Amino acid sequence: MDLGQLLSYIASGTVYTVGVTLIALPSGLLIGTLLALLYVYGGKSAARLMNLYSTVFRGIPPLVLLFILFFAVTKGINLSAFWAGSLSLGIVSSAYQMEIVRGALLSVSGDQLMAARSIGLSRLEAIRYVVLPQAVRLAIPPWSNEAAIIIKDSSLVYALGVPEILRRAQLIGASSQRYLLAYMSAAVIYFLLVFVTTRLLALFEKKLTIPSNP
Amino acid sequence: MKKRILLTVALVLSVALLVGCATEADSVLDKINQAGTVVVGTSADYPPYEYIDDAGAMTGFDIELMTEIVKRMGVELQWEDMPFDSLVAAVNSGKLDMSISCFNYDEERDLTVDFSEAYYTTEDAFVVSSAFTGSIVVPEDAANYKVGVQSGTVQDGWLTDNLVTPGLLSEANLSRYERVDQAALDLASGRIDVLMGDYVPVQALVAQNPDLLVVFHGELSTGPINIVLPEGDTALKAEVDRIIKELQAEGFIDQLAVKYFSE
Amino acid sequence: MPKPILTIKNLTKKYGENIIFQHLDLNVNEGDTIVIIGPSGTGKSTLLRSINLLTRPDEGQIWLDDEEITAKGADEDQVRQHIGMVFQNFLLFNHLTALGNVKLGLSKVKKMSEEAATEKAMQELSRVGLADRAYHYPGQLSGGQQQRVGIARALAMDPRIMLFDEPTSALDPELIGEVLEVMRQLALEGMTMLVVTHEMGFAREVADRIVFMEKGYIVEEGSPDEMFNYPKFPRTREFLWKITELYGSTDKDTN
Repeated sequence: MDLGQLLSYIASGTVYTVGVTLIALPSGLLIGTLLALLYVYGGKSAARLMNLYSTVFRGIPPLVLLFILFFAVTKGINLSAFWAGSLSLGIVSSAYQMEIVRGALLSVSGDQLMAARSIGLSRLEAIRYVVLPQAVRLAIPPWSNEAAIIIKDSSLVYALGVPEILRRAQLIGASSQRYLLAYMSAAVIYFLLVFVTTRLLALFEKKLTIPSNP
Repeated sequence: MKKRILLTVALVLSVALLVGCATEADSVLDKINQAGTVVVGTSADYPPYEYIDDAGAMTGFDIELMTEIVKRMGVELQWEDMPFDSLVAAVNSGKLDMSISCFNYDEERDLTVDFSEAYYTTEDAFVVSSAFTGSIVVPEDAANYKVGVQSGTVQDGWLTDNLVTPGLLSEANLSRYERVDQAALDLASGRIDVLMGDYVPVQALVAQNPDLLVVFHGELSTGPINIVLPEGDTALKAEVDRIIKELQAEGFIDQLAVKYFSE
Repeated sequence: MPKPILTIKNLTKKYGENIIFQHLDLNVNEGDTIVIIGPSGTGKSTLLRSINLLTRPDEGQIWLDDEEITAKGADEDQVRQHIGMVFQNFLLFNHLTALGNVKLGLSKVKKMSEEAATEKAMQELSRVGLADRAYHYPGQLSGGQQQRVGIARALAMDPRIMLFDEPTSALDPELIGEVLEVMRQLALEGMTMLVVTHEMGFAREVADRIVFMEKGYIVEEGSPDEMFNYPKFPRTREFLWKITELYGSTDKDTN
C-alpha cells in the first residue's frame, strides 16, 4: 500500500468525524441552553434537578455512556452506531454546555434584568432581548473549547464500529504495519479540524464584540 | 404522595426491563431471510484472519469464509467493523446478526452468546524479541517475565486463570492491549518480554518483523475457532453449522488455509 | 384641583426581621416634583422599587391614577410601562446602541413599527441632547451621557411618573450638571417626578416638595422653603445642615 492510498483511506473517515461533531455539538447546545435557562430562571427545584443532570453526565466517561446507550438502552431498537454515538456525545456535551451557558447567564448582571423589566418587558422578553444577547458573547470562548473537545471526542464512536478517522488509522496500521505514519496522519487531520474551527470561532467572536472606548 | 410516585417509577422501570430482556421468539434467521441481508461483525485489525487490503477493502481468512457461507445462505452480506471487545456485546444486543473474528470458545462469552461448530483450529504461540535472554520451555515459564496479551481474548483468559490467579505471575507484569500490533510494538521496544497470541497472526507479525521470533506454539487456550451467534437461536445455528460442514467436506476451508496461512 | 397620580398608603417592606420602611403614606400630584432625601440605607431605593413593583411590598397599597397596582390580579409588566425608572448605575443595555436602548421598549413592548420606533426614539434622544450619539454603544459614552440615555429610555415609554434613584451619585462631579439640567427641564415641562438624591441645590430649586426619610419613616415633608428655613424637627435641621455642607447649595444661598 503506497502513501497516497494510506492517507486517502484514513482521510475518508473525516466525513464521519465531521458528521458526529455536527450532530453532537448543536444538539448539546440546544439541550444545554434550555437546561441552563431552567437552571438559572426556573426556581429551586429545577436548579437542583439540573445540578443532578450536570453531575451525572459530567461524571461518566463519555465512552461508558456510548456503550450504555448503544448496547443496552437501544437493545431492540434499530439505532445505527453513528446515531447512537452522535446522540450520546450530544447528551454528554449538553451537560458541559449547560454549565457554559449558565456561567454566561450569571455573568450578565442581574441588574440588566431589572432595568429591562422597568420598561415593561416581561421576564421572558427581558431574558430573550437583554440577557441572552449579552450572554452569547460571554459564552463564545468556553464554547470554542467545547467544540474542540467534541471534535476530538468524536473518535470515541470507533468503539461502536463507526469507520471514522481513528478506526481507519488502526486498521491500516495493523495491515500495513506502518503504525507511526497511520497515527501521525490521523493526528494531523484532527489538528486541522480543530485549528480551523477555533480560528473561525475567534473571528466570529471578534465580529460580535461590542465597541467601547477603553 | 412520594410512595405512589416511587411505586409508579418502579413499575415502569420493571416493565421496560422485562420488555428489554424478553427473549426473541422469532429466530434471527427469519429476520435475515425477510430482509435479504445478514449483518456480520468483525474486527478487521487482525491479519491474516481479517484485515484491509491496499484498496481499503476487507479481506482475510475469516472474511472469505463468511462471504462463502452467506452466499450459500442466499442473502446479501453487510459487514460491520468494530473493535474486538465490542463484538460480543453487539451480537448480544442485536446490533449484529453474527460475528466472525477468530473467536475461541469461551465459557464467559457463552453466557451471553452462542457458538457455531468449529470451522478451523488454531494454536497459541509465545513470541519474544531477539534481545530476549530467558528461556520458555513449558508455557508456565512465561510467568517469570513481563507478559503482553490482547485484552478479552482467550489467551488473556488462559494467562489470568493459569498464571495470575495461582500467583505465578503478578498483575503488574501482565499488560493487556486493545490489539496485537500494539503488543508487538512494546515487545520490540522491550516494554514486555513475551507476547502470547494466536499462532497464525503472530506468524504474520514475525514475518514482517525479523526482530521477533516464536519460541513456543501449541494448543493451550485456543484450539477450535467458531462463529459467534445470538444466544439461544437454534435455527440460525443449525443453518450455519450445516454450511460449515458442507465447506469442510468440500475442502474449501483447507484451500483457504493454504492461501492465507502458508508463507 | 391637583390631580393625584401616585397614592401610597400604609406601605411596609421587611426582609425577615429587618424593617426597611413601614406605614408609609405618600401622595404625588400631577406635575409635582418630589425629592426624597435622607441618610443612605433608609429604604429610599427600596421605596422606589416598590412603586414600580420590582419589589413587592409586604403591606399597604399603591394606586397609579385610579388603579390599585398592588391588587392581586394586576399585570405588573403593564404597570411598569407607565412608570419610568432611572438608575444610579445607569443600567443601559450594553449590547445595544443608544438608539437601540431607547427603541427596545417601543419595539418589543409597545409593538411599534421599525420606522415609528426609530422616529420616536430619536426624538427622545434629542430631548436629552444626544441625537448625535445615537449609534454609540454605552461603552463609548461618558457617565453623564449614559445616564441621559437612561432618562431618554424611560421617557420613551411616555410614563405617567418618572422615578429617579440617586441618578447622579455614580457620576464624576463635572458630569453631574448635564444630567441635572435634563431633569430640571423635565420638571419645567410638567413631568411628574419622584427623585431620590443628595443634590440639595437641585432640591431647593426644582422640588415642589421635599420629603425627609430616616430609619424607614418619613420624618417631615414640606416645601423647600419650609424644610430649609423652618424645619419642624431638629433631626431635619441637623441633616440638612450636614448635607448642605457636603454637597453644596445654590448660588442664591446666603447662610
